[in-house]
Amino acid sequence: MKITVDLALCQGHSVCLGEAPEVFDVIEQAGGYPQVTVLLEHPPEALREKVMKAAKYCPNNVITVLED
Amino acid sequence: MKGSSVASLKVPQKVSGEKPGVGHMEEFGVNFARFLMRCNAECGELAEFNMGGQQTVLMSGPQAQEAFLKTLDPKLSRAAAYQATVPVFGRGVIFDATPEKMKTQLKIQVDALRYQNMKHYSTIISKEVEDWVASWGDEGELDFLDEFLRLTLNTATHCLLGADFRYKLTEEFRQLYHALEKGLQAIAFVDPYLQQPIFEARDEARERLQELIGGIIAERRAQSGVEHSDALQTFMAGSYADGSQLDDNEITGLVIATIFAGHHTSSGTATWTLTELARQQTYSNEVLHELQGLFGNGEPITFESLREIPHLERFIEEVLRLHPPLILLMRRVMEDIDYNGTLIAAGKTVAISTFGSHRNTDYFPDPERFDPHRPKPDTLYAYIPFGGGPHKCAGSAFAMMQLKAIFAALLPRYEFELVDPDDSYQDDFSAMVLKPAGPCRLRYRKRR
Repeated sequence: MKITVDLALCQGHSVCLGEAPEVFDVIEQAGGYPQVTVLLEHPPEALREKVMKAAKYCPNNVITVLED
Repeated sequence: MKGSSVASLKVPQKVSGEKPGVGHMEEFGVNFARFLMRCNAECGELAEFNMGGQQTVLMSGPQAQEAFLKTLDPKLSRAAAYQATVPVFGRGVIFDATPEKMKTQLKIQVDALRYQNMKHYSTIISKEVEDWVASWGDEGELDFLDEFLRLTLNTATHCLLGADFRYKLTEEFRQLYHALEKGLQAIAFVDPYLQQPIFEARDEARERLQELIGGIIAERRAQSGVEHSDALQTFMAGSYADGSQLDDNEITGLVIATIFAGHHTSSGTATWTLTELARQQTYSNEVLHELQGLFGNGEPITFESLREIPHLERFIEEVLRLHPPLILLMRRVMEDIDYNGTLIAAGKTVAISTFGSHRNTDYFPDPERFDPHRPKPDTLYAYIPFGGGPHKCAGSAFAMMQLKAIFAALLPRYEFELVDPDDSYQDDFSAMVLKPAGPCRLRYRKRR
């Protein structure tokens, strides 16, 4: 799978970081909202469930999971 | 939306029925949700009407709504459209702050709603719900409009200001809060500084509330070392780019803004959810069985156990489709805009209607029918109870968590039925935040 994020929508709620810390981090920015950063663009299959939950529970629909 | 320089652009079609002096204000005032649907039906994607002198363009359909939600300052301004909130939230707070400060204040507000804090809030909410039902007994009858207003004000103050403040929640606080609420009626969107008793009461309440909250802040700063995990603590810890912290006025403003964003919206939705659970027996049984499976053996209601409850989630989402608490979202046009060949001129207001969007038959066939199983639209901009785009409601996850906590606790224990005739439970369109017209009476009986 391949992960893409739409940073324009990210408000830094950090749900992804809570669900899949191996794959996502949230970085403070000067002034505005913190922003997600993807640590593993192609995470291993073993992390699929965590990644799918991160995408599903992101309150701002920032994360899209594509199939390779 | 592009900036415009072309002289050959079209202009939005005007809605019929405009009256001299007041424009469409009268019809808007009777039932603004239906008025906006008429605008869309008559004029299509862009419909221009007159709000007591303010030319307003309603943008309808997912494409136009996406453009609205994604076009940001300095082209479309939220601050200019929401000046009515300034005397309520306070000078220098959010829509009265410089763009840089506003950005930081909103970021600090989201800090209080982050994943880590939500776990703590779900514990608080579960406790509040338990304390609430403790006195119910085996059966009875309640006006749930009133009950949910009280419950959600308790949860909001508890999560925001901590247990100390919540349990000392005095009659004075309720009155101050009520005075602020009354300061945000429709007339405030025409001019929030008119000489009016409601606005004088609003200003006095704002001042007194800052004394109260300032008192807690001073107390906490004096007793350093004590950990608090409420939103106030997050607001106190936040800082601007130059390292300076928020002052008492700004912290008070963020507290008020956060309560206002979450209180009536949540209580109205909770009331409608319970009403629909009593009305829609088939779907409500699905939710009941799901909750019995998850919590039937006394499993605790926690952040983790609340996260995934699909039938309840879809049920609440359908409630939010039919009864979106905030119907009208607005922006002021700061620079001429070319929307697909139509000029939307600077100085006008643009608006979208969640209520109308949720009744768009292209995406929601037979729209008035309550059906949690209807397929989700393939766009993010047709179903918009929390808005969308970069400024989407920051409290959406909190709101869903709170609603799930309430019904996960209530439904397995009690059954509910309407007291009054079914068709007497209707939306009240006289308030800025949609809710059922009160009272909203239901009978409850303990399940065996």
